[in-house]
Amino acid sequence: MAEPMKIRALLKGDVADIRVLVAHSMETGQRRDAAGNLVAAHFIHSMTVTHNGKPVYDGQWSQAVSRNPVFAVRIKGARVGDKVVVSWTDNKNDKRTDEVSVAAG
Amino acid sequence: MNLSSRAAAICAFALALATGSGPVTAQSKPEDGLALGRKMLAEDNPGDLWVERGQRLFTAKRGPKNASLEKCDLGMGPGVVKGAFAQLPRYFADTDKVQDLESRLLTCMVELQGFKREDIIRTRFGTLDRDSDMEALVSYVGAASNGLRMNVRLTHAKEREMYKAGEYAFYRRSGPLDFACVTCHGESGKRIRLQDLPNMTKAEEMREVVATGWPAYRGTHSTVRTMQHRLYDCFWQMRLPDLGFASDLSVALTAYLNYSANGGEIKLPGVRR
Amino acid sequence: MKGVSQFMSRAAASVVGLAGLVIAGCAAFPDAETTAKNTEQMVTDAHTLGAPALIRRSVQDTSQRACSMIGGSEGSAKLSQEQAASLVKTARDSIQYPASGKLSGDWKTGAQLVTDGRGQRIVNGQVEKLPGNGALCTNCHAMDPTEVNAGDVGPSLVAYGKQRGNSEAVARYTYERIYNAWAFMPCSNMPRLGTNGFLTPEQIAHVVAYLIDAGSPVNRQ
Repeated sequence: MAEPMKIRALLKGDVADIRVLVAHSMETGQRRDAAGNLVAAHFIHSMTVTHNGKPVYDGQWSQAVSRNPVFAVRIKGARVGDKVVVSWTDNKNDKRTDEVSVAAG
Repeated sequence: MNLSSRAAAICAFALALATGSGPVTAQSKPEDGLALGRKMLAEDNPGDLWVERGQRLFTAKRGPKNASLEKCDLGMGPGVVKGAFAQLPRYFADTDKVQDLESRLLTCMVELQGFKREDIIRTRFGTLDRDSDMEALVSYVGAASNGLRMNVRLTHAKEREMYKAGEYAFYRRSGPLDFACVTCHGESGKRIRLQDLPNMTKAEEMREVVATGWPAYRGTHSTVRTMQHRLYDCFWQMRLPDLGFASDLSVALTAYLNYSANGGEIKLPGVRR
Repeated sequence: MKGVSQFMSRAAASVVGLAGLVIAGCAAFPDAETTAKNTEQMVTDAHTLGAPALIRRSVQDTSQRACSMIGGSEGSAKLSQEQAASLVKTARDSIQYPASGKLSGDWKTGAQLVTDGRGQRIVNGQVEKLPGNGALCTNCHAMDPTEVNAGDVGPSLVAYGKQRGNSEAVARYTYERIYNAWAFMPCSNMPRLGTNGFLTPEQIAHVVAYLIDAGSPVNRQ
């Protein structure tokens, strides 16, 4: 089961700095385990961010992104209390959605 | 929609490595790049994910006895995690031993939750194939002391005994490379290759190493490592036999080092290469 | 013995410095003999994995014990004249030379060795499997001036041969210094790479060549 993301959303001026820590193995399909077997590719391929329900980021990711990645977006025109929702889907169709409210920076 | 968004999915650790091994100009020492990389990582420390998982593990009913760790006494009373890291290692009457955080958690997982000691020890260090519960629990308990200062006391005779044993071990040379801890950690401003070496005979450096050091997210390991792992890794590099997890020797070294860090403000987990 | 009593009083002073408050407030620390006994037992108990020959690596030889004084032992400053002389003699007597008699080998082979930091490490009671040990040199010493990835725990060896030449005497000194640094500076941080069997005499000769050969990157600038 997917573990929760850790999201910070701090407003500086009218720009919200959204920083997301994602717990994911992001297996490339190239790594071998301790027994020498290839570990199947397992990675986030879709990442979306919405701001008060409106999409502000819709990205296609790949195996090139690191394990437990750090992901950052800046949203212009944000206010304190705005709702930011971050979702990902991986190639095994695991999903995770977490949300935060923008806080004063 | 008057929104412009700028997004970057950053492979933070690849970036940090690139910074560290980039061209070195006359104005910048090689370690400057490493320091910058560490600073970038500290802002978004993946170790925070271990803190959250550790919290879930601490409060969940687990093991053959289906119990949480909320009765685990880390020195501040049953289930109290705040301030626990700051005063460890310390003497515990129930085990009649001086214990560090890892060995104390091991006691609780065995006694309260009914886990087998050898199972916990086998999975003490996480791998890319398997996360370690111990690394998550240590992250959670460590972070619960953030903002407090290290305050290890030597009030019990066994605490003083462990402190002196740790000091003796710190200066004890052995193995095919004749190394003691002090061989690499007795002078300030030195490096093994590009890796900065803290001077562990200097209190001001120790305060930082202990209070902001371990547990730490290690970029090259993709997991949080604990002080027990740090010591194990040093023994490995010194070409000594495997350092037993939670062994008295490991606790003695931690007692010696943590005591010398008293007064350091805790900020955990750290971030390391 | 004068040296020992000097060392004891220094150790006592450092304890007061580190832990003066504690001493003032409560009972004393165990004495040095008790601590040594306790800790040696802890060392024995801490290592349980692997063949007896590997476990024995944590047992000290006489020289290591003499160089383990509390407060650090780099250099000979804290040793008595007799202790220092004895350490030097033990070290000197241990030095062996390549069967070929050649103390300076092939600098190109040396170049591979000096940057290789692997060899003899133990995981789960097993020694890493390698054709041979690296010589670990650049972990602590700058050698090739264009190599950034070098440590500074030991002195820089850049232009080592350029400064000293490559005479037979320089080759012999360099060889012996690598084989057992304690023959020159008892309790130096430098491992006794030959005496401890970490490097073979032939490997040491290759490292000597890398340091003194005019064609080596060490001496090119």
